[in-house]
Amino acid sequence: MEDIEIKVSGLKKDFGRRKVLKGIDFSLKKGGFLSVFGPNGAGKTTMVKILSTLEAPTKGDVTIAGIDLMADPIPIKKKIGLISHNPLLYGDLNAHENLRFYGVLYKVDDLESRIDELLDRVELSNRRYDYVRTFSQGMTQRLAIARALIHKPSILFLDEPHSGLDPHAVDILDGLLDDIRAEHTFVMVTHNLEKGLTLCSQAMILDGGKIVFFEEKKDIKRNKFEAIYKKSVKGEVV
Amino acid sequence: MTSFSQIWTILKKDLILELRTREMLISMFLFVMLTMVIFNYSFSADRNDLTAFGGGLLWIAFIFTALLGLNRSFAHEKEGGCLDGLLLSPIDRSLIYTSKVLSNFIFLSIIQIITIPIFTIFFIRYNYFPMIVLFILGIFLGNLGIASIGTFVTTLAINTKRRDLLVPILGLPLMMPILWLAVTISGNIMAGPLGPNTLKEVVRAVQILALFDIVYFVASYGLYDFVIGE
Repeated sequence: MEDIEIKVSGLKKDFGRRKVLKGIDFSLKKGGFLSVFGPNGAGKTTMVKILSTLEAPTKGDVTIAGIDLMADPIPIKKKIGLISHNPLLYGDLNAHENLRFYGVLYKVDDLESRIDELLDRVELSNRRYDYVRTFSQGMTQRLAIARALIHKPSILFLDEPHSGLDPHAVDILDGLLDDIRAEHTFVMVTHNLEKGLTLCSQAMILDGGKIVFFEEKKDIKRNKFEAIYKKSVKGEVV
Repeated sequence: MTSFSQIWTILKKDLILELRTREMLISMFLFVMLTMVIFNYSFSADRNDLTAFGGGLLWIAFIFTALLGLNRSFAHEKEGGCLDGLLLSPIDRSLIYTSKVLSNFIFLSIIQIITIPIFTIFFIRYNYFPMIVLFILGIFLGNLGIASIGTFVTTLAINTKRRDLLVPILGLPLMMPILWLAVTISGNIMAGPLGPNTLKEVVRAVQILALFDIVYFVASYGLYDFVIGE
């Protein structure tokens, strides 16, 4: 039980009358990689927002690294990072200022060398003093990756991290994920079946706020998985 | 000390962004100056002497200028989803509120530092300089009240489509006691020599205004966790 990093039981989320999540249960081991698939509106992003403390659940329990998310979110925030299609960066601050801002909020030790290291890793060292609004989408997303990693989180939530990236940025992101794979736990929302299934240790398909598929990678039968995925994306009842 | 440094980090970021873009300050400054020009032409009979109702007119200009600023106060957070970045950070959400109150307070104060001397030179005949400390205290407390409740209301409205409409609709009724007291203080001081009774009334208004500020700040601080990010 000790190596369970994320445990979700009976998770529900309503927005007014709209029930977005209708009872989600799963657990993810430390070092695991969960790929979450599903059609638009299935509740994938809402689930990630709840797991990353951005939304409060309507009902249910979420435990991350053994800490109850509702009872004490601050220690959880120190352990998690989020890379989404929104970069969470200030356009009128430069790359260094953005990383420094978040680094101070996370109380990162030896912040300047951490910023240097990350800017090198995402190949933006030569643009460190340029405003983010002058960056291309790929560069912005690379900086967003550096932002998410500034405090060395042990759990990373990735919400369609590859969307809008140029091939070079995709390579950098995949390289980074490879580098940190061993010591991190991942939950990735994606529409990219190949990438999601290659990277994952477990795969989930969400449809209509419910889990319609959840298996270990070794047990996944590709034909069955694709059939369920296609049905859910086409809007058929699974 | 840690909380202070986190508040300062967010506040410093807001100040740097505003100094670079000047979006809020320029629009606030243009608005308040336009209001004063309109005052000048509206009171044509005694156009150079608004001493008797200086306090009221001053705060009419300030409150609408403040609303303009408040509506822009989360603009940088909305762009690029930076509000989520703040909410992800391991800081008490009430610290976000405190830093936003301070930045709104500072921006409104900058506008006032520029416009009050101009307003006084052009419209006020009485030299209220001997009462300047009490006058500044009234302005300070008025600003603090507007920033406290204004920041709270702006956060409530931040994720709604009609944000620009909601902030004055929700905020103005809550700001009425602040405005009434601030006008009492500024108006009496600007209008002429303070007799013992008027001075007593002004001091009493300062005390009540300080009390309102404390109540508004503490209530908003305590409730902020529930309104931001929901």
